[in-house]
Amino acid sequence: MHIAEGYLPPVQAAAWFAVSAPFVVHGSRALVRQVRQDPETKLLLGAAGAFTFVLSALKIPSVTGSCSHPTGTGLGAVLFRPPVMSVLGGIVLLFQAVLLAHGGLSTLGANVFSMAVVGPWVAYGLYALIRRAGGGLDVAVFAAAALGDLATYCVTSAQLALAFPDPSTGFAGALAKFGGIFAVTQLPLAVSEGLLSVLVIRLLTRTSGDDLRRLGVLSRPTDEVRA
Amino acid sequence: MFALDVAAHTGRWRSRHPAEKALLALGLLVCAVSLPPWPGAALSGAVAAVLLVGPARVSPAVVLRAARVPLLFVATSTVPLLVTMPAPARLSVDPAGPALAAQTAGRSVAALACLLLFSATTPLSDVLPRLHRLGIPPAVTEVAALTYRMLFLLMDSARAVREAQAARLGFRTWHTAYRSLAGQAGAVFVRAFHRARRLEEGVALRGYTGSLAVQVEALRVSPSFVASTVGLLVTIVAATVLVRAAS
Repeated sequence: MHIAEGYLPPVQAAAWFAVSAPFVVHGSRALVRQVRQDPETKLLLGAAGAFTFVLSALKIPSVTGSCSHPTGTGLGAVLFRPPVMSVLGGIVLLFQAVLLAHGGLSTLGANVFSMAVVGPWVAYGLYALIRRAGGGLDVAVFAAAALGDLATYCVTSAQLALAFPDPSTGFAGALAKFGGIFAVTQLPLAVSEGLLSVLVIRLLTRTSGDDLRRLGVLSRPTDEVRA
Repeated sequence: MFALDVAAHTGRWRSRHPAEKALLALGLLVCAVSLPPWPGAALSGAVAAVLLVGPARVSPAVVLRAARVPLLFVATSTVPLLVTMPAPARLSVDPAGPALAAQTAGRSVAALACLLLFSATTPLSDVLPRLHRLGIPPAVTEVAALTYRMLFLLMDSARAVREAQAARLGFRTWHTAYRSLAGQAGAVFVRAFHRARRLEEGVALRGYTGSLAVQVEALRVSPSFVASTVGLLVTIVAATVLVRAAS
């Protein structure tokens, strides 16, 4: 769910750039370090960025009869880790703004914060928690993708509520209004994205085990047996 | 593949320096977002729209098709501005709502016209190799450039897989549709990593040292275009200040 170009007041748009900047700078430093140690990683990261873009362009059937697009942040965070996703997500959001007019340049900071920072960190945090607690790969990936998507939607609603507080009940009332109107599409989409991500990981476990091991997603032999 | 990218690559302003187009479109965008919606944003948006379909000669059909999704977001998120919530689960019409909704939607539509002016005239392949001049680390701009080049191949792959799946009734039911979508994502992942590995081998054989230098077409910045842009932006700001002072 991208906030459209020019929708946020200028001060808020600038503030979200400032909030996102430390995460993107941290991710960029991690990326530069990684590339310096192993220059070939650059090609892999380019492929990962293109995969994230294509993943977010897939059309998921929606309950309203039309189609929705997944954010791809949950699966991306599981595969490539949140710091790298903050940079790759930023690049993908810039491309979506310029190539598709989805989102915008003035709202890039706000969209990066919701989709390339909060979404991936929530998704990866849940994934790591469930895996450490002994949960299966399917459960962890479903929770990461579905709740990562929900976190993105909640943050976008909060950003809009901060920009346009309700005249009577302020931020809380505005959050309920924006959250309510977007829930119609976003709640089913979160479940759909979770299910789709599980199917993708199952498929990749069968066909690209070596790549998943290289990315650190597969470590236990039982993961492959289950899939 | 992407209508805006095709328009940027084949348009009349293709040979202009990206900095000129960025100054014009992003200058108008800053005016649209930071000046009062009336008349600042309205003027900026109108100028961007006229430049888009006039001197830049971008097809109005391409512009309208690209504007559909963001306009849907603007329409949806403007609805909550029209109502107020005095108590939980109680909604009433906000008397100040229509004015706020009109201002917000107007500013957003004007800014969208400015974004489209940039997108439909400036190919990303011209912008990305020059971004390191703004202080962005070369490693990040090179990853972005690789992403840009690979995504066209991967979008083609995804489309080919989708067509093959559709021809085999892969989207007949929800169950088959999800299985087909997972197949698409899986195929794209495999091809992306396969291509990255082939690129690795290719550049290693050519003595790769860590720098992916590409030839950037030398373009001259037109002083008259820059002067006209600055004049236009100053005129918009001055007109806004004058109209606001008069009202």
